[in-house]
Amino acid sequence: MPEIKVTPLGAGQDVGRSCILVSIGGKNLMLDCGMHMGYNDDRRFPDFSYITQNGRLTDFLDCVIISHFHLDHCGALPYMSEMVGYDGPIYMTHPTKAICPILLEDFRKITVDKKGETNFFTSQMIKDCMKKVIPLNLHQTVQVDDELEIKAYYAGHVLGAAMVQIKVGSESVVYTGDYNMTPDRHLGAAWIDKCRPDILISESTYATTIRDSKRCRERDFLKKVHESIERGGKVLIPVFAPGRAQELCILLETFWERMNLKAPIYFSTGLTEKANHYYKLFITWTNQKIRKTFVQRNMFEFKHIKAFDRSYADNPGPMVVFATPGMLHAGQSLQIFKKWAGNEKNMVIMPGYCVQGTIGHKILNGQRKLEMEGRTTLDVKLQVEYMSFSAHADAKGIMQLIRMAEPRNMLLVHGEAVKMEFLKGKIEQEFSVDCYMPANGETTTVTTNPSVPVDISLNLLKREMALGGPLPDPKKPRTMHGTLIMKENSLKLVSSEQALKELGLNEHQLRFTCRVQLQDPHSDSDTLHRIYKHLKSVLKGYTIQHLPDGTVMVESIVIKVSSSADDTNTKVLLLSWSYQDEDLGSFLSSLLKKGLPSGLC
Amino acid sequence: MDELEFDDVLDDWFIESLKTYRDLHVYQLEHPTQVIEWTSEKTVCVAGCSLKKNEILELRLPLRLFAEENKGLCAERDFKVVHGGFTDGPVRCLRHIPGTRCLVTNDGLSAELQLWGLGGDDSNVIRRTGSIEGSRSVLECGSRIAVRDSSRPQVLHGAQSSGVQLTELSSGQMLYKLDTDAADPLSSLQFVSDSVFLASCCNGNIYVADTRTSAAPQLYPPPACSGESVFWWTDASSGPDLSGCKVIRLSSSGQAMVSDLRSLEGAVSQAHLDIQACHHGLDVVRVSWAPVLDNCIALSGFSGAVHIYDTSVWTTELQEAQLLFEHRGHVVSLQSEDAVPVFITSHVWHPDRPRTLLSAASDGSVHVWDWVDQSGTRAEVNKLKGSVHPTLTCGAV
Repeated sequence: MPEIKVTPLGAGQDVGRSCILVSIGGKNLMLDCGMHMGYNDDRRFPDFSYITQNGRLTDFLDCVIISHFHLDHCGALPYMSEMVGYDGPIYMTHPTKAICPILLEDFRKITVDKKGETNFFTSQMIKDCMKKVIPLNLHQTVQVDDELEIKAYYAGHVLGAAMVQIKVGSESVVYTGDYNMTPDRHLGAAWIDKCRPDILISESTYATTIRDSKRCRERDFLKKVHESIERGGKVLIPVFAPGRAQELCILLETFWERMNLKAPIYFSTGLTEKANHYYKLFITWTNQKIRKTFVQRNMFEFKHIKAFDRSYADNPGPMVVFATPGMLHAGQSLQIFKKWAGNEKNMVIMPGYCVQGTIGHKILNGQRKLEMEGRTTLDVKLQVEYMSFSAHADAKGIMQLIRMAEPRNMLLVHGEAVKMEFLKGKIEQEFSVDCYMPANGETTTVTTNPSVPVDISLNLLKREMALGGPLPDPKKPRTMHGTLIMKENSLKLVSSEQALKELGLNEHQLRFTCRVQLQDPHSDSDTLHRIYKHLKSVLKGYTIQHLPDGTVMVESIVIKVSSSADDTNTKVLLLSWSYQDEDLGSFLSSLLKKGLPSGLC
Repeated sequence: MDELEFDDVLDDWFIESLKTYRDLHVYQLEHPTQVIEWTSEKTVCVAGCSLKKNEILELRLPLRLFAEENKGLCAERDFKVVHGGFTDGPVRCLRHIPGTRCLVTNDGLSAELQLWGLGGDDSNVIRRTGSIEGSRSVLECGSRIAVRDSSRPQVLHGAQSSGVQLTELSSGQMLYKLDTDAADPLSSLQFVSDSVFLASCCNGNIYVADTRTSAAPQLYPPPACSGESVFWWTDASSGPDLSGCKVIRLSSSGQAMVSDLRSLEGAVSQAHLDIQACHHGLDVVRVSWAPVLDNCIALSGFSGAVHIYDTSVWTTELQEAQLLFEHRGHVVSLQSEDAVPVFITSHVWHPDRPRTLLSAASDGSVHVWDWVDQSGTRAEVNKLKGSVHPTLTCGAV
């Protein structure tokens, strides 16, 4: 039976990184290639020895697919392609391709330059890696090779995030990456058609959560900003991508208008520079509705939000500033942070995850004294707020996605089996599908039952449908006789005559003959007539003829009667049928062996 | 519903909430619950109430709620489903047996109680472990359940006054039966001490009995002005001893009376509460004393809001009660945009945090909120409160 194999790479119960191997229809794929952000040594890289003990991976993988630009999904890509070695295609959406190298370079700088680590990829490696990338458009089927095709679907979550359908023949797998089913303000919700994949692979990290509403998160954000402004404090919001920043800007702008607030809000130049570039990506990526809102409210046209100048940081009084980079590891946001950190009236709001080694990471871990360049110490007196705005699917979301895609099997990665038992039961109960939960490093084999599509010649179809009903059980599927011709990549079912013609063969007929002995005192012709009547009453719906040449025909089966030479009361019935009527012929011979009922005239 | 219109996010209630709530969390369950029951300081159980299959979920409250000093550094705002199980019918009453990992439920249709094991670290599935028979009642109504801390897990249950019994879980043995022939349907059962309990009836009768004696219970009828078709709910406050125990009775016509447990025939104070006619079924009404805020009660089930009153300002004269706080979050939440009005199906107070409550509504929403007392009269936080039995702070059912 055909099988699909899925192996999440990684050891034990690590949930910090995504890298999943799939074997389907003879093809091998790697889904995501993430870095584990919690480790400082080689454990942060996925263990590729599962694929091959040493040497390059090119011969063992048909392609690599990256779902989105978060480092726990793409952070190890340059290591894999340039240090371990892979020269095949790497697929990702356009925005992911644009943003990945920037994040990877930032990450590299922090890890190598700041933390002084050595076994890490270089800037050149990032560039070389990205040269291997083939960008994907949404809903567009891409042929990786003759047999393997992939298609990207909208996942929500972050700009460019995709769910991917992988198809070989009629077997398919859908990998979700990170997604959300409740719409985000600037990204919308994930969507997929009823593609009925053999396996739907989903993260289970958030599967056991029930998410607090967006409104409450926004309420908390506005409450914190408002409280700081009211006491005369300054609020710094380090952001990376314009998408989330813009959403927060629109929220603040609306709030400012509503509350008639006067404190200035600024958007740093670093962001506005990148803005045009990302803007183009963003606009083509999101849907019509979202596009309308964000085009209307172009960040340069805010009423209350202005471009920032570094000198403003020293202005007295309350203000809010959005600045890059997002983890406070360099640039303008760090400069502003240094100026404002010493005042407890001020606040910094971190809207996302910060990589180890960055100031952002340190203050989110409660550090209140920071060592800066030149051995100076910075006292962190301002209020530090960690607010997570990124959207993930929760328990309800997973059920919604399964309802949408209708997979035949479900596979959850990155969850502890013990903690997933209830969800597994829920999925199995509601959808009657098997739910697998492999541990990292463990392979799950799913047996599939792919249907093989075959063309049938119209003549054959018409002919087979015209024949009478089957016996003895009318509900039993009828056996159809035809010849399967496999030519190039097509499969065709044709009548035997046509097949013989195409193949240039002579037709041979196969006929069965059977003799049944009956005790019957009547004359041969009377016996024949009695047989005719008997069969007519039993075989309703069949064509039965009593022919003038002294035979009875049931469909194409011929029945003759003759008397035994020794005894005229012993009749010998000769039944003859062709191979196609085997079933009916066998039935008739068994029936007649039982003799004729006495009630016949 | 257009998710992108920022303007309607900032409605009046939202803006007001910045000042009126310290914490506010809004969740959407897949199915509405009529029960919220504490199973530990940070976990609650909820369960579905549809007629067929339902889920029981044990939810851990968001870590952010409990992070005191470093609250800002904790971004975790979500419920975590720590255990889950499946039931064959609705769950109308759910109680956690203190000191155990056991739950007792009743489907509201019969007198049978279902027993469940919450599961430990080895499994996150809630499994059915057994059942307990109750006395059949003439009416097809469900049983009320009361629990208390005990070395041997026991459960007090019954659908009507003549059927109230105390059953030991392990043996199924009946240890005590309320000595009365009157078959008054119950609105609640509640322990006020290790052995003294109140069996409060829908018609306003209250039986006070002690499981240690087989003596007849004391019976307190409802106030004289109570009409025939009036329905009553009752709750008793928790405390270290019975002397400070107060009982509140509320009628479906809005009359509320506060009495001392030791003299239930009289009233210490009363007030008229503005409640709408009850269209949602009498089963969802909850009236409860705050475990920490002295003299405060919460009321829900008549509408889409939870009302909080300070009974210390009530007098013996029947006057209109003033609201101390109103939680309207379920009504203004963006979820309920359709025509069907939302009503509160359950609420509970947090056992230790003075102003934190959980509330659930008919649209499946569950809110966790910590409100700010902005009234002139500040409700006193009782500093004498020692260890509080979570079970004794539950609502009327």
